[in-house]
Amino acid sequence: MSLGRFAIKRTLQGIGVVWGVITVVFALRFVTPGSPINAVAPLDADQETRRAIAAELGLDQPLYVQYGQYLFDLIQGDMGFSYVRGQAVTPLVASKIPATVELAVAATVVAIVLSIPLGVISATRRNQPVDYGATLFSLFGISTPNFWLGIMMILILAVEFGVFKTSGRSVDVGDVVLSTVGPEPFLDTLLGWLSYITLPAIALGTYFTALITRLTRSGMLDELGKPYVRATRAKGLPETLVRYKHALRNTLTPVVTVLGLQLGTLIGGAVITEAVFSWPGLGTLVIRSINLRDWPLLQGSLIVIGVSFVLVNILVDMVYAYLDPRVAYE
Amino acid sequence: MVSERVIRNLKSEFRTSALAKLGLVLVVGVVLVAVFAPFVAPHNPTAQNLGESQLPPLGFTETKETTTSEMEDGEVVTRTVQERVEADAAHPLGTDGLGRDMLSRVVYGARTSLAVGVLGTLFAALVGVPVGLIAGYYRGKLDDGLMRFADVSLAFPSLVLAIALIGLWGRVAVPVPDPFVVAGLVSDMPERFTLPGTVIIVVGLVNWVWFARIARGEALSLRDQEYVKASRALGASHGRVIRRHVLPNAITPIIVLGTVQVAAIILLESSLSFLGFSGTTLSWGFDIAQGRDYISSGQWWIATVPGLAIMLSVIGVNLLGDWLRDALDPGIEGEGGV
Repeated sequence: MSLGRFAIKRTLQGIGVVWGVITVVFALRFVTPGSPINAVAPLDADQETRRAIAAELGLDQPLYVQYGQYLFDLIQGDMGFSYVRGQAVTPLVASKIPATVELAVAATVVAIVLSIPLGVISATRRNQPVDYGATLFSLFGISTPNFWLGIMMILILAVEFGVFKTSGRSVDVGDVVLSTVGPEPFLDTLLGWLSYITLPAIALGTYFTALITRLTRSGMLDELGKPYVRATRAKGLPETLVRYKHALRNTLTPVVTVLGLQLGTLIGGAVITEAVFSWPGLGTLVIRSINLRDWPLLQGSLIVIGVSFVLVNILVDMVYAYLDPRVAYE
Repeated sequence: MVSERVIRNLKSEFRTSALAKLGLVLVVGVVLVAVFAPFVAPHNPTAQNLGESQLPPLGFTETKETTTSEMEDGEVVTRTVQERVEADAAHPLGTDGLGRDMLSRVVYGARTSLAVGVLGTLFAALVGVPVGLIAGYYRGKLDDGLMRFADVSLAFPSLVLAIALIGLWGRVAVPVPDPFVVAGLVSDMPERFTLPGTVIIVVGLVNWVWFARIARGEALSLRDQEYVKASRALGASHGRVIRRHVLPNAITPIIVLGTVQVAAIILLESSLSFLGFSGTTLSWGFDIAQGRDYISSGQWWIATVPGLAIMLSVIGVNLLGDWLRDALDPGIEGEGGV
């Protein structure tokens, strides 16, 4: 199977999962006690409004009609109406996506940049101080709640030393890009952006740094003991090439898979990191929608989160197939 | 089920690994503290004492600023009084904003974390393992359905799904009488312990798929083993084969996954109670949320202490998990190559 056909096959599978995600989110409407209207209408709505909402949602229709209507609306990008906020859900959710993506990408970059070198060094200097240090760090990293880590960083860096901002996102990555052409001074904008993003990115990224360090270390140890590594050494390849061109490449395939599977943890972590740093993203939106019993908004956010998980995993599989072409041929 | 070889591996791995010993000490410590909380805690964790609020932990002093405003001669006069607050040996870890003893709260918080971690994992395993075994053993449509469902449920982060379900179902708390207090062995301690019921169910529901996947994988490879076929040929029913041959041989990775899940669920519980989605107020995550309001005014310990408790317990469980994994299943991870 060529890479292209593999991509098509994975995309079709992905569409199946997205359909499942939508179905589960649709079903959420019915797991709440009482009539679904209770879940959608504001708490103080009168009978008239409630009946209007019921008709609007098609709750007087048979179930399969409701479901069909829901799917039909979604395909057109209509995720319903938030009666609590009096706004359409789609633009509201869409406006929060960039903040969360920025946070998640920043955390992933922090994690990859730190963890892979650390894991490689730790594996090649096994049982030396740097290896013990890395192992200890990973143990702490996977055992520390990220929201607490965030609060501790606020306490030490922001409250004591006043270095970073502790809440909000007044300067975003888009401003930094604009400042390269616009009138704003580039360096100030960049530093401003870093003062907002740094702490949340580290708080969210630490768990993944620890996890990938662990995986890279044990993967490298596995690979370095394999016959092909001995063969490349025997033919006189420099050790650097042996490690980074051969062993690391084979180590990275399982690392990439785990990264894809852990994307859920990343988004879940983003929800709580956003809560700590008042980051105006999807996570904040999800928590607010639950506290305000705004189910259409919650459903919309869940669908966006579920769909992005599926999309990223298709991408991950493509990267995987690139790193290890055998995958596409299976 | 537990062969001599397994016990031998466990022992030899334990002897050589300092981290395994540390893990066992931490976990046994947390379990003992949680079970005997009324004896360990020096004070009632819910007793408020505003006269002794915001005391620092032993070894620290704290300057407390109190601002008072009064009307004097038609003008508002504000006075700021600074006083030094010394630590009090009666409250070794200090007190929180309402004067509750931090040590006692940490001790009782261990109960919540452990109860949710263990019961949530058990619930997830009780649902996931049978489904996974049956799907892997019989294959076919059931198996396809399970795998598709697993794909879909992976797409929702467990924290997000958990807060959504708790938001929909409400926070049900189950009061459980404390046997030590009921028996009259201790006084001045809470008579009831609040079990966050919804949280336990929900963390189980969002995590059972992991057990199903592992159990399915094991059943899939075991179903074609000679002894399984032989047992079938001798006339054993499918149910008996699954119980007698498949489950016992699949149990090792399930146990390893179980410890990982206890650690993950303790972290999940703390996140949920930090966000206010728990049924109890005696929880480490809840206390961190309370303490967060005090960090800018200098009372750092209120948020710090419960976080350290979470970290130590999760490190303990993770080390225990590493020990079990290395001893029971040397092939998985950790010791690579020559």
